[in-house]
Amino acid sequence: MSLNLTINSSSPPLGALLTAEHVKSSVPVSVEEGKDTRLLVSDSIQFNDSNSICRYLARVAPALGLYGASVMEQTEVDHWLEFSARRLSERPGAMAALAALDKALSLRTFLVGHGLTLADLTVWAALKGHGLWPDPDRSLPHLDRWFSFLSSQVPFTAVGSKYLSKRAPPSRSSMDE
Amino acid sequence: MPMYQNGEVDSAVKALEARQDEIMRKLYELKAAVEGLAKTVTTPDADLDLTVSSSLSSQSSCFKGTTDLDMQLGKDIGALRDIVINANPTQPPLTLLVLHSLLCQRYRVLSTVHVHSSVSGVPPQLLSCLGPRHADSYARHMFQLGFTLIWKDVPKLQMKFSVQNMCPIEGEASVARFLFKLLAPYPSDPAVATLVDSWVDTAFFQLAEGSAKERAAVLRALNSALGRTPWLSGSEFTLADVACYCCVLRSGSASAAPANVQRWIKSCENLGHFSPAKLLLQ
Repeated sequence: MSLNLTINSSSPPLGALLTAEHVKSSVPVSVEEGKDTRLLVSDSIQFNDSNSICRYLARVAPALGLYGASVMEQTEVDHWLEFSARRLSERPGAMAALAALDKALSLRTFLVGHGLTLADLTVWAALKGHGLWPDPDRSLPHLDRWFSFLSSQVPFTAVGSKYLSKRAPPSRSSMDE
Repeated sequence: MPMYQNGEVDSAVKALEARQDEIMRKLYELKAAVEGLAKTVTTPDADLDLTVSSSLSSQSSCFKGTTDLDMQLGKDIGALRDIVINANPTQPPLTLLVLHSLLCQRYRVLSTVHVHSSVSGVPPQLLSCLGPRHADSYARHMFQLGFTLIWKDVPKLQMKFSVQNMCPIEGEASVARFLFKLLAPYPSDPAVATLVDSWVDTAFFQLAEGSAKERAAVLRALNSALGRTPWLSGSEFTLADVACYCCVLRSGSASAAPANVQRWIKSCENLGHFSPAKLLLQ
């Protein structure tokens, strides 16, 4: 089975791209640039938003455990998927979300369970994509530790340099405080 | 009056003594039963006292729940698995109320409603939305699942469950997915499972919170999907239908919906699962 992911290159779905990088050894996914983000699964089913694409890719590569190991872990992953798509994307309130994230990471290496899941991928992608972190004006040690830990690993560096280098860094004046 | 005549005990005294013994025996039995009850009230998850179980077994025999909760949620550690939900009374979580009533058909659920000090004037229908208080509610160990709804001034619905392992879960959509997994497994086909999740997101983010334009677009998408299959994710009724039905109802767009959606609304109502949601919207 080979899947084809079309992405909108002016606003690349970083979470979906990261997930595709992670699953590519078990499920080949080819990525091409186009007008809209889209993953065609069958004649009647296609997914257009980043979270659905992430969920599907995690489910077709169950051995990687990206969707968590139990019903409770899956629920936590669902929580962070929504958190990355909603709270980290809404301008007013994104700063409070960062503090909440820091608190959640205080006793954890990964956001859910003891390994990498969609939660880490999508939250990292939202922070990176919206230019929310690193933030030199704020000290959130747990978030900082987790973010640099992930950023130093191969799929993250690959996706970061491939899809973000072309874009101008977001201007800080547009950020809320 | 002499009690003994020729060394013989008066038969009337004998009868009285026998009655006294019988009364004492009953009193001891009662005392043991009350002590057993007190133990289960003060230590909610203590093993059931034998005297209590014999007197209560007749009432609890109507419950014959399945126990695959252990499979879903891991081994039972003794304490009641209590699902605590903080919800804002201005946005009653219709989906969760529907799922709650489905859970009650399946498991022995101890349901309670509380009002947090941050809100006042909660309407009576919200206080009774989980049904009447259970007759055995003092004995927590007799239930498989706790469902505690707290009306609270929270910006976003929140679920706290198994707090040692799990972060608090925010958002009605994630909580609905969790509750549904306790009722039925997700479709095994990755595409269908993801389709369910995708409809759930659409319901909560575009139907319930979106603009009029977004709602119209979702109704068109619903209409075309329901032209192909009887339910939103195919031939099976899933969480996608529960979430979309409740959000269509909440957004008040049911009457203006296109034909396939109207037909599907009737099919949903025929299942009879949605009375808790309809009750709150009246």
